[in-house]
Amino acid sequence: MFGRWIAKYKCTSTIGVCLLVAMIAGLVWSLSENGSGRRFERTNVAVALQPPSWVTQLDNEQFSLFGTDQLGRDLFARCIVGGAISISVGVAAAFIAVLLGTLWGTIAGFCGGKTDAAMMRVVDVLYGLPAIMLVVLITVAVSGLVENWTITSPPLRELINVIALLMAIGAVSWLTVSRVIRGQVLSLRSRPSIDAAKTIGVGRIRLFTHHILPSILGTIIVYATLTVPTAILSEAFLSFLGIGIREPLPSWGNLAADGLSQLNTVHSRWWLLLCPCLMIATTLVVINYAGQQLRYKVDPKYA
Amino acid sequence: MLDVKNLRISFGKHVAVQGIDFSIEHGGSLAIVGESGSGKSISALSILGLLPKNATVEGEILFEDQNVCKMNNIQLQKLRGKKIAMVFQEPMTSLNPVFSIGEQIMETLLVHESITRSEAKQQALLALEEVGIPKNRFSSYPHEFSGGMRQRVVIAIALACTPDLLIADEPTTALDTSTSLHIIALLKRLQQDRGMGIFFITHDLCLVSSIADQICVMRSGKIVERGETSMVLSTPTHPYTVALTACVPSIYTKRKRLPTI
Repeated sequence: MFGRWIAKYKCTSTIGVCLLVAMIAGLVWSLSENGSGRRFERTNVAVALQPPSWVTQLDNEQFSLFGTDQLGRDLFARCIVGGAISISVGVAAAFIAVLLGTLWGTIAGFCGGKTDAAMMRVVDVLYGLPAIMLVVLITVAVSGLVENWTITSPPLRELINVIALLMAIGAVSWLTVSRVIRGQVLSLRSRPSIDAAKTIGVGRIRLFTHHILPSILGTIIVYATLTVPTAILSEAFLSFLGIGIREPLPSWGNLAADGLSQLNTVHSRWWLLLCPCLMIATTLVVINYAGQQLRYKVDPKYA
Repeated sequence: MLDVKNLRISFGKHVAVQGIDFSIEHGGSLAIVGESGSGKSISALSILGLLPKNATVEGEILFEDQNVCKMNNIQLQKLRGKKIAMVFQEPMTSLNPVFSIGEQIMETLLVHESITRSEAKQQALLALEEVGIPKNRFSSYPHEFSGGMRQRVVIAIALACTPDLLIADEPTTALDTSTSLHIIALLKRLQQDRGMGIFFITHDLCLVSSIADQICVMRSGKIVERGETSMVLSTPTHPYTVALTACVPSIYTKRKRLPTI
């Protein structure tokens, strides 16, 4: 029903832009100083574990939309900053995955023969390894290295850990992309239009950049938008396990992990789990819609 | 212009073309007629050096006294489109769906001639006009055209660089009868205007009589009969040609069961 309403009023892009502006405004607000520190990391045990409300005991604030956590931090601010971290890790990891997968897949599909066979066997072998375990190994190894290095500034350490995390997620998610892209390139190569391009004297490089690449652009975009949510989910999962983004930096995964422990038979502080999870779900839906719109823009049949 | 001598093409042990000879003069037209799998299309592709990797080619294909078989990739790229152009059977699939037709006509020109995009556009518009497509369709995409118009676009692409030889591999098979007559008339007019050679591949004997001066009848990789089109069609000598011409239904005689080959 909601989908039909959106289709009728053609307002997906408007909704998306509004959400984006709201999120950026929220991010600026969350990162801004307020008396005793930046809003997303300032603690106040006096107001710990408050449920969401318009009126709040949080000092100098009018409202706390999502309530507060065990240390009295504003959950809304933490969700927004955590979201910024989760999304940027997701997008960066997806970008790495798509770039690597597209390169690998197109080269394999385009060269064909023994090159193709060798490259695809590499993918098969990597496919056989459990992906999440690889990510865990890479991140743990890097954080171990960081411990041994003489890097004393904590922000730099955190940054290196985050980069290692997104590289690791990117490095395990390119396999599917490369397979799909290779299949596309193979089927394109046998199309008469590619033969026709050869008969007018188009060289290998031009054939690749002017005929194969534009034709698979739609697929690449669709896969990129599919990979972003997957990467966000992987990040959330790892942070949930405590391997990804670590406290005091928030991310949707570790916020949800914190929230889960507050949901039991004695008390149910539901907002701590629900808010980050709802934000993940909304983001994934929005990204999928955006991917669809992009596809319409790229595919000549919808133009 | 084109001189093919003792051409043999084989895939592993299977010999698809078993030593054929033919030649085409400037402004001449040759049709190769034969059933599916007789080696017509493979012979045509070998002229452009476009055979699959597992094919072995023996014999000589001389185009303007240069052996096409011995050319490297770069020489072949300069030949394709510029000197020898090809029109494929399926206009539905031989156009790239993601580019406008204008873009695709311009591509031939941009690949082969050192001209700017605006000059290429001018020439492409002329080429469109020549095949009878209005200029305002320049930026339309292939799916917005009918089959006959797409085949005209394919012909415009092939003719953009004014090639010396045009290979037409069953250009009208995917089209209906009236459209195919238009296409044939168009090809014939362009051939006469430009003095271009045409190598025509078909299994439609009616079309052959209207376009080609010379005809070769092929069967299982061999040329079984050749000569002036009118002579071969009116007084065929080889049993296969006799059978082939007998298979064409006529509107003048009483309807009866057609013979089989």
